[in-house]
Amino acid sequence: MRYELLDKPDFGMVRVHYEQAGEQMIVESSAMVARDAGIDMKTEMRGGLMAAAKRKLLGGESIFQNTFTATQPGQTLWLAPSAEGDVQALELDGSYEVLLNSGAYLGAAPSVGLDTKWGGAKGFFSGTGFFLLRCSGQGPLFFSSYGGIHAVDVGPNGYICDTDHVVGFTSGLSYDVQKLGGLKSLFLSGEGLVCRFHGQGRLWIATRSASALAAFVHPFRAVKSRN
Amino acid sequence: MQIEVGYRPAQSMARVVLENGEQIRAESGAMVGMSTNVQMTTAATGGMMGGLKRMFGGESFFQNTFTAQGGQGEVLLAHSLCGDSVVLPMTPQGFFIQSSSYIASSPWVNIETKVGGFKSFFAGEGVFVLKATAQQDAQVIVGAFGGIQELHCDGNLVIDTGHLVAWDTTLEYSVGKSAKGWMSSFLSGEGLVCHFRGQGRIWIQTRNPAEYGATIGRMLPPRES
Repeated sequence: MRYELLDKPDFGMVRVHYEQAGEQMIVESSAMVARDAGIDMKTEMRGGLMAAAKRKLLGGESIFQNTFTATQPGQTLWLAPSAEGDVQALELDGSYEVLLNSGAYLGAAPSVGLDTKWGGAKGFFSGTGFFLLRCSGQGPLFFSSYGGIHAVDVGPNGYICDTDHVVGFTSGLSYDVQKLGGLKSLFLSGEGLVCRFHGQGRLWIATRSASALAAFVHPFRAVKSRN
Repeated sequence: MQIEVGYRPAQSMARVVLENGEQIRAESGAMVGMSTNVQMTTAATGGMMGGLKRMFGGESFFQNTFTAQGGQGEVLLAHSLCGDSVVLPMTPQGFFIQSSSYIASSPWVNIETKVGGFKSFFAGEGVFVLKATAQQDAQVIVGAFGGIQELHCDGNLVIDTGHLVAWDTTLEYSVGKSAKGWMSSFLSGEGLVCHFRGQGRIWIQTRNPAEYGATIGRMLPPRES
């Protein structure tokens, strides 16, 4: 299996070339843009009902995911996220895991295991959802974000990221949610809460936040009349 | 201080590298990420009145100052809407900046809000402008909704207020209606425009945020008041 990323960073899309019959990709529902007609598509609850429901409720992923299986070499599959923004590919080798924020998962080989991980009460305060999707195993993993995706290699000094902008991070990192500056800053700075990462690993940051777009559009909605 | 803008044009983000002790002042909410040795302080720059005036200018009341301590540090800054960002090197005359396009500037850049009179009132948020000036070399980061085009005004130019990002203060400007009469101005859909006179540069954004908001907003169910 080979793949390439197209139209980065504004309107990223993944093109997967299957090299052998039987190769598979498991893809978030509705992420398929196009496929060779010969590719077999199956919709299933991966890991059974409970695991799927947990992913849906906790990780923000869909209950159903689609498995695309090549029936002969040379077939092609195209994948894209729903919002404008970047896509990123990662070749997991089993030496580390990746934790993705809700909704960032796009697709992976079946050899990549997905599990929701309790983000702790800190996730609650960060407004980014309670849970992170833990991706382990080996093989290609694709994820996406609203906005561009900026990678930061976090060293011993750590790194600070606005909670709304975290896309994902490798398992060598952990984080605390905290406020920046003093109490005055919390209410007046407009920065709210941040994740302070420590450990060693890679952090992916989105250059935009979809919630900021929603907040911008919201005042333009008509106001419901009171009768 | 070094500023590089990546992910242009639509997803642009500025990475500001600060040497030990260096500072940058940013619009509140613009910080995406930063190294841990950067300290953020929040202040109503220019005192309480300056802060109040800035609030009317569409920029937040308070600005955040980021300072690198104990070595080099970095701050990532971005606009909230999709679009390009550019770094403008300060000129002796300075810039006028449409308030929602301002992202950040060197800490010694003086930002004044021009709360206009009657004309500005009618033009809505688009024409509240910030005047940025500095006595020494400085940089200002501005962000757009859509792409940024640099126009050269040589004489006269008319620009929709919703498309303005920034312009040289060497230009005279006045806000007015687009066509001769109020009725045709209204019907033309062009609303209010800014008339520029003189010589100078004008940076425009290729999309109008208020038009975008109105287009999407009318497709959404009504909100509670």
